[in-house]
Amino acid sequence: MSLIARALEEAGIPTVAMGCAKDIVEYVGAPRFYFSDFPLGNPCGRPHDPESQYQTLKGALGLLASATAPMTTVQNPLRWPGNGEWKADFSNVSQMSPEEIARRREEFERGKEIAKAKLKQETAAE
Amino acid sequence: MSDDNPYGFAPPDDRPLTYMQRIRDYYVTLGFGKPYEWAHYVSAPFTPMTKLLNEARVALVTTAAPYQPDAGDQGPWSAYNSKAKFYQVYSGDTAVDHDTRISHIGIDRKHTSQEDSGTWFPLPMLRRMAAEGVIGEVAPNFHGAPTNRSHRTTIETDAQEIVARVKADKADAVVIAAN
Repeated sequence: MSLIARALEEAGIPTVAMGCAKDIVEYVGAPRFYFSDFPLGNPCGRPHDPESQYQTLKGALGLLASATAPMTTVQNPLRWPGNGEWKADFSNVSQMSPEEIARRREEFERGKEIAKAKLKQETAAE
Repeated sequence: MSDDNPYGFAPPDDRPLTYMQRIRDYYVTLGFGKPYEWAHYVSAPFTPMTKLLNEARVALVTTAAPYQPDAGDQGPWSAYNSKAKFYQVYSGDTAVDHDTRISHIGIDRKHTSQEDSGTWFPLPMLRRMAAEGVIGEVAPNFHGAPTNRSHRTTIETDAQEIVARVKADKADAVVIAAN
């Protein structure tokens, strides 16, 4: 998504990216980034909490208007419920049994095959 | 505050997650040799806003997919579903509601329920911003960006297609909801 933001800015269109993976978005180099320290999949606020979604979008729009230089990151002041424990869980191999790792390996291979077949099908239909 | 933490310091691991390291470790442990290489730049292009926000036509770009009834589970707590991926930029009328899903993306499957699309697809909220005068108006179409692993396809095809569609809608700025 940062690559798409960059292309838009190169074409003269200001952007703001809303996201949760700070290291990745900043590594790629997004022009403006509104960072929410939430689990991946929640770039626009907390679930069942429209007020948080309103504030998050308003924060992002504020950054759109206020940034004066590229690669500006602003952090959403809202917190994910709890004490940040969720951060220990994401794809954390140190928490997985060998059986779990083997299961995920198979699942990944299966997913890759399905995606490959779908890509082939869609490009053939072009 | 407690006796062993008199200044109320946060837990040491409570900081933005280092996803790149976590993902690399994950794939190496699973036995997939060459780790994914993210695109990387140390500077970025930048276009300042020339219109006031409350006069601007704002477009939305999303990585969410349209719900596809024949593509398996895309519901709450669904597992990663590569059948629900898409490989062409798509657009939708922003005046009406859309059923978008994120089962095709590598999200946090333990803590993200995928129940409330307001957390990943802010179109209704963007319309509210327009109604309240925070932005001038919502651009007539939103655009869906494929999430594939090819930098070449993203840069040379998808990004250019989105630029063309955003320009055709005469949008003044773009909000990108990245999952």
